[in-house]
Amino acid sequence: MRITQAMMSNTFVSNLRRQTEAMLQRQEQIATQKRINRPSDDPAGMGRVLAGRSTLAAIAQYSDNIKQGVTRLEFSEETLSLVDDLVRQARGVAEGKNADGVTAEERALAAEQVKEIYDQVLQLANSKLGGRYIFSGNQTDTEAFTRDADYNATYNGDDGSFRIPIAENVEVTVDADGRNYFQDGADGGVNIFDELRDLITGLEDTDLAAGSAQIRATIDALEDAHVQIMNKRSEGGPKLYRLQATEAHWTNVKNVVQDAIGREDEVDVAQAIIELQNLQTAYESTMAAASQILRTSLVNFLK
Amino acid sequence: MTDLFGVLNIGTSALLFQQRAINVTGNNIANVNTPGYSRQRLNIETGLPVDTGSGLIGTGVRSAGIERVYDRFLGVQLNEENANLGRWEAQQSMLERAEAVFDESEGYGLNQALSNFWDSWQDLTLNPSGQTERSVAAATSQTLADTIRQRYAELEQAQENIDASVEGAVDDINRLTAEIADLNQKIASTERTGVNANDYRDSRDQALKELSGIIAVNSYEDAEGQVAVSVGSGKPLVESGTTWQLSVQTNADGHTDIVWPNLNGGMVNITGEITAGKVGGWLQARDTKIEGYQNDLDALAQALMDEVNTLHAAGYGLDGTTGTDLFTGTGAVDMTLNPDILNDPNLIAASTALGGIPGNADNAIAINALRTRLTMNGATTTFDDAANTLVSRIGYDVQAAKASASNQADMMTYLENYRESVSGVSLDEEMVNLVKFQAAYDAAAKMISMADEMLDSLMSIVG
Repeated sequence: MRITQAMMSNTFVSNLRRQTEAMLQRQEQIATQKRINRPSDDPAGMGRVLAGRSTLAAIAQYSDNIKQGVTRLEFSEETLSLVDDLVRQARGVAEGKNADGVTAEERALAAEQVKEIYDQVLQLANSKLGGRYIFSGNQTDTEAFTRDADYNATYNGDDGSFRIPIAENVEVTVDADGRNYFQDGADGGVNIFDELRDLITGLEDTDLAAGSAQIRATIDALEDAHVQIMNKRSEGGPKLYRLQATEAHWTNVKNVVQDAIGREDEVDVAQAIIELQNLQTAYESTMAAASQILRTSLVNFLK
Repeated sequence: MTDLFGVLNIGTSALLFQQRAINVTGNNIANVNTPGYSRQRLNIETGLPVDTGSGLIGTGVRSAGIERVYDRFLGVQLNEENANLGRWEAQQSMLERAEAVFDESEGYGLNQALSNFWDSWQDLTLNPSGQTERSVAAATSQTLADTIRQRYAELEQAQENIDASVEGAVDDINRLTAEIADLNQKIASTERTGVNANDYRDSRDQALKELSGIIAVNSYEDAEGQVAVSVGSGKPLVESGTTWQLSVQTNADGHTDIVWPNLNGGMVNITGEITAGKVGGWLQARDTKIEGYQNDLDALAQALMDEVNTLHAAGYGLDGTTGTDLFTGTGAVDMTLNPDILNDPNLIAASTALGGIPGNADNAIAINALRTRLTMNGATTTFDDAANTLVSRIGYDVQAAKASASNQADMMTYLENYRESVSGVSLDEEMVNLVKFQAAYDAAAKMISMADEMLDSLMSIVG
């Protein structure tokens, strides 16, 4: 083949361009620590990275939900345990003050104590978490229970429940209907407020015998109330466990997805640097060769 | 003729010929870096011999014309490949701009906007009456609408950039066709006298190659040596000294089309016929690729608005209002957050229950569930997938254009080298020729001086 100077210089130029381009790419990868700096660097890889990021965002949100759910369950548990204590105190009063021999003064004192208990239970039933009532169904901005002067409690909420999405189409629901906790809700049960009210009126009854009978009648009911609260508390346990297990699952999945994104996206720096060095060597040799050959011409040898 | 004067004549012809050959060599050296220049060669033949009785004796040397050294079939191939190179390079540069619009590598793109949007609805699920959650949901919805709208507008901008480039290219095309027509005339009139119009032909080849890079053309040379150039489905651009000047027109989409004047002065739209050259690459990027991205984005926006609005309008806001759309607009071009919701996030319909039940989040849950619902492409993909696929699709197109441009560049390098191998000037070769012609010149001069001496000797005898 007939070779001209232009062919040699063109070839050098196009080789140098190719080499600088490859070096630039490695430099970019090393600087950004990323293998994929634009979709065209690896379209399929970019697609997987984006899908992975969507998954990570969803996982982060589920983890957030679970944290809120755990707080809600723990708060609810704490509240109910206080209610349980109060109900047992009330039962103690009923057990201690139902004898016919208990004087009116003693009964009046006990009545004040039970009124105190009533209002504490009412206050706990109106507990708020993050500014929202937790026992008023979906009516989260309405006080769950109110009472009149005669200690008749009214439920102001609805039958809504608190829903915690923990995975795609999977949710943990927490009963938020206060009636199921404190009153004879949809599945029957003890109306704690009514029993406390009956205890108060029994203690305040001027007919001591009739009063004693009424007080006695609340003892078993308050025991049932204790069981009712315990049942609701025990509902929370498995849910809490489910939330924590799911959280652990998401933590694992998150690591897997992050690793997968890393494998697609992250550059092997050591390899990139070695490649860059190889390219640099090739680049320098090309230039050295060019400076040798392009300088050579017959002109230099003619006198 | 075989006397001393014959010897002088031979010497003269040799001197003249070597001088002319040095002239041609010098011209080759001067044009060693001229693009499109084909090395020229002074053809050589012996002078007509004369019969001297003792046999035929030569009468020196004479030139048989100057011709350029070239491969006539290479030109067509070079033009074709140059048109393809132009096409892929143009497509690559334009698609890279579209790619920059969808730069998701840093994580602030469509993907992120969609994720934030879905997350905000889940946040709302846990606290449907929360003002913070509502404001965040309004803000992420707005960001999502803005992101889609901006991406769409930026793609539109990329198309408008192409329009401007096409307009500029049409001026270049008209300039080059005029140049070719002019050179046609010059070549025809020069060659009618029997002389090769080497330099004009080089210039015309160069103009044709440049033209091919801009727009794919067909060309052939007629018996007179004039080229006819046509574009698309055989619409002439140059015939002999006549040119058809292209012009631009704005089409129904507001983009620039190329029109060709027919004989009746009517304008024929040839946009669809241009397949290669820079213009072909631009038009494909504009009308097929970028238009396709816009359609994908629009389909995403419309489906998103449809699905979300249907659910949202059926739900109830915190203040009990219903029938409110979350997004307004007709598609990606004008998608916005309902300004009423922007002003009052309480209108966000998180609840499915009549009236404004603050703790009911069933609608927020339903809207969030769209995240994983197969809503797009005939119920086969999710919104997230559709968005990610669009980004990947652009990546694929850029990658393909890049690879094709690179292959095409290699092809051109090969052809250019081949052309160079045939037609290029080699300085070494020219230097050898220079030495050769100089030596021949010296020898011819010597011969003349010898003949002169011989004549002197003869004259001295006579004198």
